[in-house]
Amino acid sequence: MIEVKQLKKKYGKRHVLKDISFQAHKGEITCLIGVNGVGKTTILKGIMNLTPLNGGMVEIDGKPLTSERYEDITFIPDTLTMMPSMTVKQSMDFMKDYYRSWNPKRAEDLLTFFKIKKEERISDLSKGNKAKVNMLLGLALDVDYLLMDEPFSGIDLFSREQILSVFSSHLVEDRGVLLTTHDLTDFETLVDKVVLIDDGQVVREFYTEEMRETEGKSVVDVMREVYQ
Amino acid sequence: MKQTFNSRDPLYLQVVRQFKEKMANGQYKPGQEVPSRRELASQLGINPNTAQRAYKLMEEEDLVHTGKNMPSKLTGDLKKFSFVRQELIQEAVDQFIEVVKSLGIPLEEAQEELSRRYQVNGKASESDD
Repeated sequence: MIEVKQLKKKYGKRHVLKDISFQAHKGEITCLIGVNGVGKTTILKGIMNLTPLNGGMVEIDGKPLTSERYEDITFIPDTLTMMPSMTVKQSMDFMKDYYRSWNPKRAEDLLTFFKIKKEERISDLSKGNKAKVNMLLGLALDVDYLLMDEPFSGIDLFSREQILSVFSSHLVEDRGVLLTTHDLTDFETLVDKVVLIDDGQVVREFYTEEMRETEGKSVVDVMREVYQ
Repeated sequence: MKQTFNSRDPLYLQVVRQFKEKMANGQYKPGQEVPSRRELASQLGINPNTAQRAYKLMEEEDLVHTGKNMPSKLTGDLKKFSFVRQELIQEAVDQFIEVVKSLGIPLEEAQEELSRRYQVNGKASESDD
């Protein structure tokens, strides 16, 4: 379990994160939702220690997150950060050299799953295929937790469908996924848990099936209550 | 093929419902093997935990049997199949009655209309196939 406790973050005088606490469990898909600019990405970056925080702590499986434990987590940013002149294969080799947890077999599986050719140059890939390579490079790591920032932003319908299918597949099975999105289209059925962020705070934290069962509300219904 | 789900009702219950419909209309046969949880999740585009929960409920209702290291199977008990069918018929008829009553339509008129429309509808859906 990733446990986020009272995260605080200031940009100048602006409190972006006032007091963020929530849990994301292994074997579940947890979704951070909020309108744009609400600090969702900052939370993920805070967990990964990619941005300094002004308070709070993160625990993983009951222990404070130290540098060794970062081997158990990966962060998939919203855009591919590899050099455009590289081929897909070169970017995979780069990951292999850089991360001990790189799983070559899983990487090959993912190439087939996403129907990507590894000889292709990154600069020649469509936006959708770039997003898939970006996912591939993170998913191929043998880590317990996957953090993903806006995995569906700005891609075409069919790439979106393919990336969506990751979440009902063996590719994330038994792992913990924590992701951000502002667009839930076709994704509601895939999420276990939702954490709604507004004004630097967690306003709702709930399991989607429980919400449907006890209150008869969809995730979008709850969002409407909070944001409108 | 992706199914559409109602986003306000628990998905696991909707999945169970789809199974029952297929049992009632003969698409699923007694004793037939059913997809694994993972397969079902990707077929329907749902979370594997939801698929798991649907199977758990169907196991509790004795509709699905799972042995150790064996693929899950639908019950071979024909009585269970006819029970499911009966359950769905009653539900549909109850819904019909509720609407008809709220409109103040007498039973004879509703029955007559039901027979007439049933045949028209039947023909329309046959030609659709």
